[in-house]
Amino acid sequence: MEAVHPSSAAPETRVFSPIFKYPSAAAPLLITQGAEALLYRSTYLLPSIPCALKYRPSKPYRHPILDVRLTKHRILSEARVLVKCRREGVPVPAVYALDEAAGWLMIEWIEGEVVKIRLNEWLKSRKEGNVADGVDAGELLDLMTRVGSAVGRMHAIGVVHGDLTTSNLMLCPRSTEGVDGDAEAPKMLDGDIVLIDFGLASQSQADEDRAVDLYVLERAFGSTHPRAESLFGGVLKAYEKSFKGAGVVLKKLEEVRMRGRKRSMLG
Amino acid sequence: MIAIGLEGSANKLGVGVISHPPHGKPAQVLSNIRHTFVTPPGEGFLPKDTAKHHRTWVIKLVKQAMKQAGVTIKDIDCICYTKGPGMGAPLQSVAVAARMLSLLWQKDLVGVNHCVGHIEMGREITGAQNPVVLYVSGGNTQVIAYAEQRYRIFGEALDIAVGNCLDRFARTLEISNDPAPGYNIEQLAKKGKVLLDLPYAVKGMDCSFSGILASIDLLAAELKANPGQRDPVTGELITTADLCFSLQETVYAMLVEITERAMAHVGSNQVLIVGGVGCNERLQDMMGIMAKDRGGSVYATDERFAIDNGIMIAHAGLEAYKAGFRTPLEESTCTQRFRTDEVFVKWRD
Amino acid sequence: MALLQTVHLEHLPQSHAIHVALYQDIKNATFLQQQLLAGNTDFEYALIDAGVIVSKRHAFAAAYRAVNDLLESRLRSRNVHSEIVFSLSPNNNASESFRRFGITPSTTNLLIIKVTTPSSALTASEIQSHLTSSIEGEQVPFEDSILQQLTDVPRVKKIYKLNSNGGGGKKNGQLNGTGGDGLSISRNGEESERKELELLVLGAMALRGVTN
Repeated sequence: MEAVHPSSAAPETRVFSPIFKYPSAAAPLLITQGAEALLYRSTYLLPSIPCALKYRPSKPYRHPILDVRLTKHRILSEARVLVKCRREGVPVPAVYALDEAAGWLMIEWIEGEVVKIRLNEWLKSRKEGNVADGVDAGELLDLMTRVGSAVGRMHAIGVVHGDLTTSNLMLCPRSTEGVDGDAEAPKMLDGDIVLIDFGLASQSQADEDRAVDLYVLERAFGSTHPRAESLFGGVLKAYEKSFKGAGVVLKKLEEVRMRGRKRSMLG
Repeated sequence: MIAIGLEGSANKLGVGVISHPPHGKPAQVLSNIRHTFVTPPGEGFLPKDTAKHHRTWVIKLVKQAMKQAGVTIKDIDCICYTKGPGMGAPLQSVAVAARMLSLLWQKDLVGVNHCVGHIEMGREITGAQNPVVLYVSGGNTQVIAYAEQRYRIFGEALDIAVGNCLDRFARTLEISNDPAPGYNIEQLAKKGKVLLDLPYAVKGMDCSFSGILASIDLLAAELKANPGQRDPVTGELITTADLCFSLQETVYAMLVEITERAMAHVGSNQVLIVGGVGCNERLQDMMGIMAKDRGGSVYATDERFAIDNGIMIAHAGLEAYKAGFRTPLEESTCTQRFRTDEVFVKWRD
Repeated sequence: MALLQTVHLEHLPQSHAIHVALYQDIKNATFLQQQLLAGNTDFEYALIDAGVIVSKRHAFAAAYRAVNDLLESRLRSRNVHSEIVFSLSPNNNASESFRRFGITPSTTNLLIIKVTTPSSALTASEIQSHLTSSIEGEQVPFEDSILQQLTDVPRVKKIYKLNSNGGGGKKNGQLNGTGGDGLSISRNGEESERKELELLVLGAMALRGVTN
C-alpha cells in the first residue's frame, strides 16, 4: 500500500448507519446536517405523504450508556414539546411517529421557506438604505407582527425554543386557490409563520428563559438582516400583546441586553 | 524580535522568552519555565497566598529564564504580562514585577489577555490554521472561533469552569494537588468502569457544571458513608475510581458536544484544545473521535504549553507588539474580568 | 375497484402487507368479538370500532407502529393484530385500549385490518372471501369520505384528551396577527378542522409510552 501524505489525502466521506431497515418508494433525501441531527425529507405511510425525518446518529465519542440515554431523552423531549405546541394552537410541525431507540423522529413536512432566505431576498429586491423609511415597510412590519405573535403564543403555553433564529422560522404559503379575481401576485413576505427545530426547546415559564429567546432572535435579526433590524420593535410589540406575562418578559429583555447572554467570568 | 512574558493569573507563575525570526519563520521558544503553588490535599489556593508565592519567585524565574534563553537585556524588545482574566492579587503581583522590569530595562510593556495567549500559542505550536478553539482550564470554559479581528465566544460555561469542577471534586476526595488535581483524577478514572448517572447540562452551545459537581459530591458522600455499594446493572462494586470515571465521561461529552455544535455552525473541521484541562488524554481522545467523524482533526499541545505558562504571554504579546500595540505604564493595570472577545486581534487577517 | 384495500406501507418490508376493509351496519359484532376472546386463529384481525377512527392515515399509522414493533420484537400485546388496536391508544393501558378502540357487542361500523407476513401469507382474495363469509354487514370502500361520516368526533376528542383549551387549538389558532391564520386553519372549514384533528391524534399516538 502506498503511503499517502496526510494533507493530500481525500477528505473522509461520512457514512451513516441506515436509519431504516426497509425501504420507502424514494430514499430519504438529506436536507441539512447539523452537529446533532440529520434532517431528511422522507415519506410517512404512503409515498404521497411527505415528512421531515430527524435522525440523531449515535455519537461514538461518548460512553454508550450515556449516548443511548441522551438520544432517547432528546427525541422524546422534542416530540413532547411539539405535540404540546400543536395541541395548544402554536404553529409547529405535527408529530407523526418516533423510535427513540433507533434515534429518529418523523414530523410533518412544512412547505415553504425559512424566513432568513425570504427576508434576504426581499431586502435585496429593495433599494439600499434603511427599509424602515421605505413605502413598503408595512409588508415587513406585518411579517414582524406575525413572528411576534407566534413566539408569544409559544411562550404563553410554557415552551421556550432555545434557538430562535430566522432559520428556525418558516414562511408557509397560504393556499392560493382562494378568492377569485385575486390578480395580485402573492407578496414575498406573505405566509403563515411556522416555528421549527425544537431540538433545544424546553418547557419553562421563566421570564429569563423567555427573554433569552427574544434576545437570541433579536441578535439573529441584527447579524443576519441588519437592514431589517430597525423594525424588530414590531416583533416585540406583537409579542407584548400576545399573552399576559409578556410585559414582564420585555422588562427582563432589557436586562439581558445590558449584560449580554453570558455573564462575565473570572479567569 | 524577542519578548519576555510573565504569567501569574492563577497558581502557576511562568516566565518565558520567545523569538520571532524575520520573514514569518516559526517562533522559537528560548526558555519557558514555571513554578507552581501546590496546596495540601483537600485545599484550594487562596489569592493572598498565591500572590505571595508569585512575589517570592518572580525574580528568580526571570533571571533563570533570561539565562536559559541566553539573551541579555538589550536583546529584549518588549515585556509582556498577563492583564487578565484571573485572580486579582496574583495578577497584580506579576504586573508590578513587569512594570518594574519595564522601568529598569527601559522597554515597552504589552498587556496580554490570558485566553488569547493560550489560543495564539496553541496555533503556533500545532500549526492549526483557523480552528474552533476549546479553551478549558480551572477558570475558563469557552468555545471560540475567529471572525473579523476577534476571537468570538460561541459557547461557554454559565456557572463554574470545568477545571474548577474537577479541582473541587479532587478536594472532596482529598486527592493530591501534585502535580495537579485534574491529573490525579484522570489517573484514577483510568481504573473506573461503572458509569453513574449524573446530570448532563448542555444548553445550545453553553453548559453548566455546578449541578454535576453537587451530584458527584453527593455520590462521594454516600459512598464514604456506605462503602460496598454495587452497580444495579452489572453488580460491580462501586469505587472512587468509578466516580472519577463517570465525572470525566459526563463533562467531556458535554465539552465535545458544544465544540461540535460550534464547528457545524462556523463550518470548520479543525479543533484546537488549549488550557490546563486540555492535557487530559480522555478529552483529547473523545475530541479526536468527533473530529475524525467530521472529516477533520484535533490539535492539542502538551503540558508545557497547555498549562499556564509565560511563553504564551510572550508570544501573543509579541504578535500584538509587532502590530503596533503598546501598554503605556499608566495603563498597565490588570483586571479579573477580561473577555476573550474584547481583544482587537490586529495581527490576523 | 376491490373493496378490500391492500397497501405496503413506507419503511416496512414488502413481505408485510396491510389489508383493510370497512363494514357498515354489522349484525354479528358479539359473535366476532367472541372469536377474538376465544383466540380463534381463523379470526386474526384487528377489529376496530370505526367510530373512533378519523381517517385512513389514522388507521395506517396504527398498523405502521404495530408492524414496526413486531419487526423490532417489542410487541406489548399478544400479536400484531391486537397491537394495532393498542397502537391507537394514547396511553399504555392495553385493556382499556381494547375497550375503547376494539370491537364491542354494540359496534355497528367496523374497520378490519389484516397484516400478512411471510409466516402467515394469505392473498387478498382469500382474506376477502373469509370476511365475506364471516361478517354480516355491508362492505363499503375504505375511503376518507366514508370514514368521516362514521367518526364520533366528540368521542375521539375525549379519548385523545383534545377538548382542553379550545378543542385542539382550533379557535386559538388565530395567532399570526394581521390577517394571518394559524397553520391549522389556513384552509378554513370542516376539512381543515378534520385534518387538524387527525394530526393531533397522530401526535398523541406517537407519544404513547413516552409520558412515563
